[in-house]
Amino acid sequence: MNFHRALIPALIFASLMSLLAACALGSTPMSFGQIFNAFIGRGNAGDIVVIWQIRLPRAISAFCVGAALGASGAALQGLLRNPLAEPGILGVSATASLTATFAIYYGIVSISAWTMPIAAILGALLATTIIALAAVKTRSVVTLILIGVGLSSFAGATMSLLLNFAPNPFFLADMINWTLGSVANRSFADILFALPFLILGLGILLSARRGLSALTLGEDAASGLGVNLKKQRVLIVLGAGIATGASVALAGAIGFVGIVAPHVIRPFVRHDPARTLIPSSLLAGVFLVIADIGVRVLPTQNELKLGVVAALIGAPAFIWIAMQRRSLHD
Amino acid sequence: MTDLLFQNITVTGRVTQVDLHLDCGELVVILGPNGAGKTTLLKTALNLIKPDKGQVFYGSQDNQSLSPIERAKCVSYLPQIRPMAWPNIVRDIVALGRYSHGASLGRLKGQDKMAVNEALSACGLTHFSERRIDSLSGGEIARVHCARAFAAKAPLLIADEPVAALDLHHQFKIMDLIRDYTRGHHGGNGGALVVLHDINLAAKYADRLVWMKDGHILANGTVKDTLTTARLADIYGVSASINETSVQIHGVLDGQPNPKA
Repeated sequence: MNFHRALIPALIFASLMSLLAACALGSTPMSFGQIFNAFIGRGNAGDIVVIWQIRLPRAISAFCVGAALGASGAALQGLLRNPLAEPGILGVSATASLTATFAIYYGIVSISAWTMPIAAILGALLATTIIALAAVKTRSVVTLILIGVGLSSFAGATMSLLLNFAPNPFFLADMINWTLGSVANRSFADILFALPFLILGLGILLSARRGLSALTLGEDAASGLGVNLKKQRVLIVLGAGIATGASVALAGAIGFVGIVAPHVIRPFVRHDPARTLIPSSLLAGVFLVIADIGVRVLPTQNELKLGVVAALIGAPAFIWIAMQRRSLHD
Repeated sequence: MTDLLFQNITVTGRVTQVDLHLDCGELVVILGPNGAGKTTLLKTALNLIKPDKGQVFYGSQDNQSLSPIERAKCVSYLPQIRPMAWPNIVRDIVALGRYSHGASLGRLKGQDKMAVNEALSACGLTHFSERRIDSLSGGEIARVHCARAFAAKAPLLIADEPVAALDLHHQFKIMDLIRDYTRGHHGGNGGALVVLHDINLAAKYADRLVWMKDGHILANGTVKDTLTTARLADIYGVSASINETSVQIHGVLDGQPNPKA
């Protein structure tokens, strides 16, 4: 039990450590003394720029994206009663990056900096709504995941279409960033535009977390316990849609984090979906910060994309989790 | 004290103009072949299915006017047992019974904690309370669900085939628990409405039998009054002999097969 109590403080500590490591590591490693001085605005000007303009915003972006995806994944898994549900698998991230790309393509983004996160969130909400509506109709989670795969493929195909018609190479590079997912060159301003939505989405998910515990018994029994099923669905769809959309606006589509983090957390919280949310959120944040450090320090010719690294680790984990499921769960 | 009243309930194609009353402290068993409308009827009481006509009352309150939480405080629901989505811990599952009282799993206090501990011990689960549900046998799992329903301390209990697929010992054990609940143990003092498929079990435990077929109630009364060979032939299409409350089924009646089979 004490172990369980220590989980969240331990994860907060790990989060801070990972952010510190992200500041220290890179093409030119920095000592803790240098980081500390740069933090409080002393030390040499180059260090201050590296910390405040490059490494810290990048690391915080990675953390925020992970936090949003970890919580969304855990919440969708609770709602759909399946450990394989995740914004990436269900096509939510792909749809969000598609609508964001549309917004760039048609120049809507130039209207206001807010249009980008809003476009991504609308896409994410569209996808989560389709999934949730399908979830009411079909009891089979396999069908649901197939619908997600369909959404994902459709968004991917439309994205390819836009790539075909890309007016210039800059635009092409931009779009590839969206599809692959990256937090390179993010500034505090970018974070600021995504953060309100992120907090709103996470807040909605947390407000609805008690119902997720009840859903372990199945929908009828949960309703018998006093869960308002309709409201529960709407809140989770809204929360996951808004949080995922905000994360896509910040970093593009990054998959599989939302599946791996809750899976690791569950045994520590007695498999209670409600208690999975916050730890999954923190752990997924730490995952992405560490993965992004890897992206930066690996001596590759072109910098790897964070989403690619996440998928390289996450996809095998997905397969493993899927194979472990017992057939009686459908 | 809350009684349960079904008034003229009609769900098109499944239940037709059903009137049924359940008194406090009464254990009523609904019997009938598959597709008779038993589960549908139970679900109208829980607002899981909205009847096309008719109303369900808890005491004096129309159940449609209650919020899900208010309804859950009046009636505990024990649906047919399905596998859990997650391998939860027994104590946490029982604690879900306190959902309508606002309890969060893992942070039980005061009354919630007491209710959960009482329900665990009533169902003989105290030793299992920290076990994972997927490490338990079917009979133990059924007891966990019973404890979950009792922990709510609701005046009414609605159970849909609570003993399906259980061994004999556990069938009687579960029915004992439900009967005790209606007799004022385990925090209940209200009625229980139970769907069963086993006539002998029903005859042993029920204060009243409700016989359903094709969406209608064909008979409603004490075991002595309603359990007859003619009724078994009519409802199930089987020939049987009855000795007081024990029933022996001989087989399917010729020329009158089960219409739903």
